[in-house]
Amino acid sequence: MKKGLIVTGILLWLPFVRPAVSATVEKLLGDENDGSRTNQVHLIPLYDEEIAELDKISYKIFPDDEPLLPFSIRQTCSKCHSYQTISKGWHFNAVDANVAPGRTGQPWIFVDADIGTQVPLSYRPWPGAYHPEQLGITPFQFTCLFGRHMPGGGPGELESDNIDEIMRQGISGKQEINCLSCHNGHPGQDQIEYAFQISQQNFRWAATAACEFASVTGSAKKMDDTYDYLMPVDNKDAPTVAYRKDAFDHKSRVLFDIVRKPSNERCYSCHSNLDVSSNSPERWAADEDVHLMAGLKCVDCHRNDVGHNIIRGYEGEDTISANPLAATTSCVSCHTEGRLGAPVPDHPGIPPVHFDKLSCTACHSGPWPKEKTILTKTSRAHSLGTLGSNKSPEALPHILYPVFARRPDGKIAPHKLFWPAFWGSIKGEKVTPINIEVVKKTLNKILVKQKLPRTGDWPDLTWKDIDKGLRLLAETIEGKPVYISGGRLYYLPRNKLTVIFANPYGWPIVYNAAKPYLWPIAHDVRPAAQSLGVFQCEDCHSTDAPFFFGEVAIDSPIAEQQKPSKEMVEFQDISRKYAWAFAFSFVFRPWLKVIALCCCGILAGVLLLYALRALDCIVKTITGKN
Amino acid sequence: MFRTVSIIAFLATFVSIGTYCIVRPCCKECRWTPLAVLRRAVRVFTMLFLEQKLSPVGVLRKLVYLLALLCFLVLAVTSFYPVLIFKKPIHGYWLMLHATFAPVFAICLAVLAVMWAGNCRFNKNDWPWLTRIIERVTSVKSNGEEEAYSGVPGPGQKIAFWLIVVLALPLILSIILSMFSLFGTYWQELLLDIHRWTALAFAIAAIIHIYLIIRAKMKE
Repeated sequence: MKKGLIVTGILLWLPFVRPAVSATVEKLLGDENDGSRTNQVHLIPLYDEEIAELDKISYKIFPDDEPLLPFSIRQTCSKCHSYQTISKGWHFNAVDANVAPGRTGQPWIFVDADIGTQVPLSYRPWPGAYHPEQLGITPFQFTCLFGRHMPGGGPGELESDNIDEIMRQGISGKQEINCLSCHNGHPGQDQIEYAFQISQQNFRWAATAACEFASVTGSAKKMDDTYDYLMPVDNKDAPTVAYRKDAFDHKSRVLFDIVRKPSNERCYSCHSNLDVSSNSPERWAADEDVHLMAGLKCVDCHRNDVGHNIIRGYEGEDTISANPLAATTSCVSCHTEGRLGAPVPDHPGIPPVHFDKLSCTACHSGPWPKEKTILTKTSRAHSLGTLGSNKSPEALPHILYPVFARRPDGKIAPHKLFWPAFWGSIKGEKVTPINIEVVKKTLNKILVKQKLPRTGDWPDLTWKDIDKGLRLLAETIEGKPVYISGGRLYYLPRNKLTVIFANPYGWPIVYNAAKPYLWPIAHDVRPAAQSLGVFQCEDCHSTDAPFFFGEVAIDSPIAEQQKPSKEMVEFQDISRKYAWAFAFSFVFRPWLKVIALCCCGILAGVLLLYALRALDCIVKTITGKN
Repeated sequence: MFRTVSIIAFLATFVSIGTYCIVRPCCKECRWTPLAVLRRAVRVFTMLFLEQKLSPVGVLRKLVYLLALLCFLVLAVTSFYPVLIFKKPIHGYWLMLHATFAPVFAICLAVLAVMWAGNCRFNKNDWPWLTRIIERVTSVKSNGEEEAYSGVPGPGQKIAFWLIVVLALPLILSIILSMFSLFGTYWQELLLDIHRWTALAFAIAAIIHIYLIIRAKMKE
């Protein structure tokens, strides 16, 4: 009986053991450190991409190969580092539906001024962002559009299920994780070249082209569907690799200048920001983040292990992050422990309620709030640091900041914001964007003829254009077409163009699509002496304080809608009347202090006087005089 | 914890006052019929009016007292209601109302302290009262006789008055000092705690003081 039970137990347990065993990834040479802190010399052979037709074999590259192939990062690096483990890191796992999205982050922004569109995209289910598939953007197209500022992996490695794209993917290759984007310590690592190669659909060649010892010419985009990169052709457009003559040693190995901790400049390739308001100083005149000035590097806070689960650094990240340091690497954790010499703040005169209602970044990050929000550019949204990026301040997408808005956790924090603009359709209670290609084809006659400004700004659309566009789309698509822009929803009830104005909060579900997309910012961090509230309470609590009453511009391609703005308080879930009344009460605060102190003086005087009298009485009683 | 202690303290205060009212009514002829209770309620209400016999200083005293009473009610409600009912610290319009009435109350307290302190001095008439308490505690009888009510505040009122004056100081100072850029977060929290706990003690002292005044007036 007992034996039977044991056998049954083991049999029941077995199915759970098998997946657990198979899920364990074997650790490779470079996955574990033996404790040495010295830099490991990466004098290694290069391997080309594995070829499916040849039983997934990748070959070592020799300088005299014909044709000379680009090296595959996946094959070259995965000899010592587990590519599979690394590919689960935050920079590469957006397409993995099982990964918790965490706090809302910066989306990829699809911009097409021709059709009045700027729409937030993300493979992560962040509220307000759309899955690229919803706009008909395939992973291949996504890589073409945004691969310039992606470190590879993710959508760049997804197999296409579109027949035409399968052909093109065969020519361009996949955008493998490019370890060198971050870990190449050589000054010759050229991310501009990398972005250029992506624009030419040279995904397979991009990492090779960007490194210091190789160059690539040609364009996979220009090659026809029959092109095979393994077969040399006499075509000047065919992607061709040339390695520097001295790149290989006598054993056909190449020296990589690999650094464990990437430099800040590597991070800046994809994470640069620029304030483009006329009042904002250029980068050389702007102050640096206080942490960097103190000698820290980006990766001192944004840490990761071999799993590349990099710490994003927000409060509560530890609840979803597998990174064991997530709980101890945030503003609060470092600045309460004094870690790495972080000053432990005293916050004199700041009522503790502020720490419940505001994030640290509210007072310490981003630019000091002004009467109006300013336009800003980011690497990812504006292709900063790539060839031909539009340097005009008005270039789309229009991202505004700092917007002091309430986060889902209830704290107010500075955000970047942009107003989605797109053609959509109402299905049930939801507005979903219409396939971009359908919109382009349908609206070609009325919108594409618009002359686009050279600044990269919106064309001047009119109500008539929108009206026409919606009518044309009504004939083409299922559901009711709508146009969303500037926080408004345009549609055609009873065949008449109608616009719905609404507040960002408390909208019915159907209008949620018109809500601005916001994501919190944390940099640049200002020191205590430059933080909000350092001068007086009125930095925020005055009737015209930008923190509550600053103007948030409304951005729209429709000329008639460009003037109005909203106030910060509308994004804070606070009544304007209350915010104003509370701010106004600070006018009387000095009086309150004086009155209260005077009253205390009188009360203390009375107490002292009668205490002395009582003492006098007691003394007299004791001495027998009374 | 503060919420629990507050609820217990207020309940204990009101229950004690209620019990005391029943066990030791203000007058020997007092009955608990509905009409008698109503009559007493009307009597309490009329105490809010200004009596014609009052001198100008007396009128001022009463007006200041009534204003202080109003402020006390507003401050007590705005501070304890959110804590006890919503389980949230004072915030929003409650806070604004609280901060508006607080300086008026502080002024009234200062004026009342000046005007009442003389009357509330402890003197030899308070000795029998103290002796009576000692008797109850120690069960030792004294020969002294209890003095009848003579129009001046009783020792209970005096104690409550001086408690109010003493507690007013940390109550006001704790919140005013927190408004200056002097204290860091730790001290700010401590000051708020002092304000909170002092406010509770102050409110109870004030309630007892009000009750004793009403009781004394009813005895007249």
